[in-house]
Amino acid sequence: MTVAENLFENLRLELRRGSLSLAVLAQLRREHYGYTLRKTLAEQGLAIEESTLYPLLRRLEAQGLLLSQWREEDKRNKRFYRLSPDGEQMLGQLLQEWNTINASLNNIL
Amino acid sequence: MDLLERYLQAVGRHLPWQRQADILAELRANLEAQREEREAELGRPLTQAETEEWIKQLGSPLQMAARYQPQQYLIGPSVFPVYWYVLRLSIFWATIIYTIVNVVLLAVNGVSMTETAAALARIPSVLFITAGWVTLVFAALEVAARQYPQRCAPLLEQAAQWQGEGLPYLDPAEEKGKKPRPYTHAVAEFIFGVLFLAWLLLVPGHPYLLMGPGEYYYASLPYRLSPVWMEFYWAVIALNTVQVVWSAVSLLNGSWQGPRRVQHLVSKALGFVPVILLVTAPNHLLFVLKNPGADEVRYGQTLYTINENTHLGLMVVLAIIAIQLVWETIRAILESSRERAMER
Repeated sequence: MTVAENLFENLRLELRRGSLSLAVLAQLRREHYGYTLRKTLAEQGLAIEESTLYPLLRRLEAQGLLLSQWREEDKRNKRFYRLSPDGEQMLGQLLQEWNTINASLNNIL
Repeated sequence: MDLLERYLQAVGRHLPWQRQADILAELRANLEAQREEREAELGRPLTQAETEEWIKQLGSPLQMAARYQPQQYLIGPSVFPVYWYVLRLSIFWATIIYTIVNVVLLAVNGVSMTETAAALARIPSVLFITAGWVTLVFAALEVAARQYPQRCAPLLEQAAQWQGEGLPYLDPAEEKGKKPRPYTHAVAEFIFGVLFLAWLLLVPGHPYLLMGPGEYYYASLPYRLSPVWMEFYWAVIALNTVQVVWSAVSLLNGSWQGPRRVQHLVSKALGFVPVILLVTAPNHLLFVLKNPGADEVRYGQTLYTINENTHLGLMVVLAIIAIQLVWETIRAILESSRERAMER
């Protein structure tokens, strides 16, 4: 990887990092377990690595933004996540911030 | 054993034991679902090579486990600026204290090449240990801040508070658009000062460091230096020690950026002391005979001429330094008053 490519990759990851949490919170307005969440996000154009998404779910849960529940589905125990009341409130605030940034950037660009 | 199970086992080894089973169960469910879907798409089980390729895409077990850890760094971004500042401060003070202690020890115990070399060789380990302790303390602070955020948050907030009025006044050189003195110059001055001091300390035991091959010529002469030169030598050591400490202090408190008018004038004034010691030598005896009884008749008159001429030369040097000092003092006073007028 050249220096320019490496720099682009770092900046791209930095740009994505903040928006991933927002995308996950938004997607979890409907209940999902890890794999289906990853698949749904990828289908909508936001592919996330397993090693990023699954720990992120844990962190968001520890921060009180998600609720989780172990449940059997297709003869297998799975951990399902959904947005908590605090998460809903946080999602609203983040969306507002996102829209503001988006509008500003559109004006600048 | 199934490759996925082996992967999960390897991940588990790097996970905190309290959450290990829970994390692995969730990871297993997700990855098995992923594998089943791939197999359903292909209409057959994954081959060994395909499984290996898929597992490889998941990232190394260590990398996967690390993402589940709450702390990914030893010292976080909020503490790091303070850590970096304290680290630089500690390294400078450690160097100064170590230098002073060793100069005193060498002066008391007698200067030797071996001792000086050993003292110089110990510097990296002293600095490394200092840096290690500072890092350890700040890493512990980082852990404490993460473990007890309620208790540590007020401390961090307090550290982040500052008053605009407390900022230092604009440096006159900066204000006038002059280029400030580079940091590298200030650091180089300090390092070369320390090295010069070490070299000076080695000279009495190893005169060739000063005289080179002239040492053999000196040994063949009927004259030798009078004891006043030892007083001169220790005055030069003291003067250089003061300069090294001053350079270090100005590096620490940030004054290295500004003009060093006072430092320059004080150094110049202190430079009088060693020359005065030589000028005021009793009977202008700067050199004496090695064997006064045997050589007095043969070399007595020559010795007298050498001493008188050297004394005269030193008087000229003293006069030049005095004129320079007076001139530079007048110039410094004028510049200082002009800058004060500009500030007003």
